[in-house]
Amino acid sequence: MIELHLHGLGLFTPGFPDASAWARRAPAAPTAPRAEILPPALRRRATALACMVASTAAQAAAEAGADLARVPFVFGSTLGEISLTVAMLEEFWQGEGLPSPTRFHTSVHNGPAAYVSIATLNRGFSTALSAGAETPAAALVEAAALLSERGGEVLVALADEPPPSPFEKEPPFPPLALSFLLSADAQRPRRASLRALRRESAGPPRVPAPFAAHPAAGALALLQAVEEGAKGPVPLGPDGPRGWVAEILPGSRP
Amino acid sequence: MQEARRAGYPITAFAAANGLGTDTGRVLEALRAGRSGLAPCPLEIPFETACGALPAELPPLPPSLREHESRLSRIALLVLEELSREISRAVGRWGRDRVAIVLGTSTGGILESERAFAEFLRAGRMPEWFDFERQHSLHALLPVLRTVSGADGPAYVVSTACSSSGKVFGSAARLLSAGLADAVLLGGVDTLCQTTLRGFASLKALSRTPCRPFSAGRDGISIGEGGAFALLESEGEGPVRLLGVGESCDAFHMSHPHPEGLGARLAMEAALAQAGLCGPEVDHVNAHGTGTPANDVVEARAIEAVVGGTVPVASTKGYTGHLLGAAGATEAVLAALSIVHGFVPESLGAEPVDPEVRIAVCRRAEPRRVRTVLSNSFAFGGNNAAVLLGAP
Repeated sequence: MIELHLHGLGLFTPGFPDASAWARRAPAAPTAPRAEILPPALRRRATALACMVASTAAQAAAEAGADLARVPFVFGSTLGEISLTVAMLEEFWQGEGLPSPTRFHTSVHNGPAAYVSIATLNRGFSTALSAGAETPAAALVEAAALLSERGGEVLVALADEPPPSPFEKEPPFPPLALSFLLSADAQRPRRASLRALRRESAGPPRVPAPFAAHPAAGALALLQAVEEGAKGPVPLGPDGPRGWVAEILPGSRP
Repeated sequence: MQEARRAGYPITAFAAANGLGTDTGRVLEALRAGRSGLAPCPLEIPFETACGALPAELPPLPPSLREHESRLSRIALLVLEELSREISRAVGRWGRDRVAIVLGTSTGGILESERAFAEFLRAGRMPEWFDFERQHSLHALLPVLRTVSGADGPAYVVSTACSSSGKVFGSAARLLSAGLADAVLLGGVDTLCQTTLRGFASLKALSRTPCRPFSAGRDGISIGEGGAFALLESEGEGPVRLLGVGESCDAFHMSHPHPEGLGARLAMEAALAQAGLCGPEVDHVNAHGTGTPANDVVEARAIEAVVGGTVPVASTKGYTGHLLGAAGATEAVLAALSIVHGFVPESLGAEPVDPEVRIAVCRRAEPRRVRTVLSNSFAFGGNNAAVLLGAP
């Protein structure tokens, strides 16, 4: 695999509006994500998931000096727009039995990625993936393949929110979105380098307890390892004999 | 690596099952005969529409996979059964870890959640048999596919609505060219379900009768179900080759295509550029051609701009219906059949062709030497994929 370099990070979870608030471990009163890149007309219709993704993508791109109108976009999520999906199931049993048309077309798994594409006028590559507990690794695999094919940059975003009743999961987890701006350019200043992705027995991702069951826990573990300037293997999940591990090296820039 | 990419990769085996039949032979027979698989919808819904339902009872999953029981996984296993010998060969040749899986689906096993939720409303609790992770989730099929195929390389689902399993060809080719795998089992599966039937009805995009892509009389889509799988390998001999995949966005609207088909054009042009071909070198286009008034005219403009107005174009949605997340892989298989068997299918239901559609819509099936086919898939969110296949 080619070596990936990490130039920008983004994070949103209630109480931590961005990656730097998370790095300082300074929780604030929970607020909505600042999805400033979405024009008002789009933002009004955007879901919480799309707003989280847009907010973290903008953070990662800004830190890296990247232009979201040109960067290929890889979105990974296990549940996607699960709140809309469940709301539609309820609508089938009400009135004419039809869902709201906007809810239907917004519920697609690529919805959040599409909002970013429409907002930034990006007509390039955009995809949406799911691989269960392997989703963070799968998104990085797709990013590595893209960078190997065409060079340049890739924005990898991961996000999931807890499913609503009666589809709750145990243990529950908070909403969380993360973004990583990656390139294969070894000449650029970088936060860290990702030297290899491999499958081995490596234990669960090392994250704070409330996020242990989050589908993007592996990506949060990666973000924390980068912030700490860690060197070596970072378990991306799942816990077990065939988990994924990222091998990282600290970069030239804190 | 560039050299290898230009020459493409061999598709060493492929198979499909859908409203036309439960195996590739039956699908081919119906396609050549101009026989539609669309019939009144078998699901209980509060409106009339035609659907492409699989025309048979589907065998249950083996006991070891019972926890993953769903219509989606039944369809997937039905199609994989046809490829089992080729998959075993590839896994034996390359090793388990070097065979990846990339699957496209739009709604996964949502049909099972719809059933479970109906029981929840009746009984006040979710049924014992239901497991979201193993039956509904988009990735529910991945452990099933790993177990049945023996492939244990990277495995993920691409879910970009109706372009999902067009895009899996792009991901698969990249995994090979980046050296992350030596072979990829790729495909697409979707089932009929309440969510997509009622959803498209709410958008007033469903036809009551079998859809008629490119026709002056078209009035909406028909939805179908089914699956298609293919084996893409870094080396070897196959009946067709993957020459290029173009992936783009409209960056325009969640559910309306760009009025000039700009994103569609970019996808087709990118597929051709990867193959080092120009538009008029394409022998046949399997269009996205959904049968809605707006989409077909916009796609026809984009096709005309890229390949010209004389290349024979067919939409096969009049046969199978729109397979949504399974459409890209299914139509790539139909395109491969055109190459292997030397024919272009009739674009079913197209007569009389809309005068605004200024491309050469296939009015009847005809024998023809087909060396290259472009297969289009376009989705909500303005997400586009164009897959270019060629003769070996």
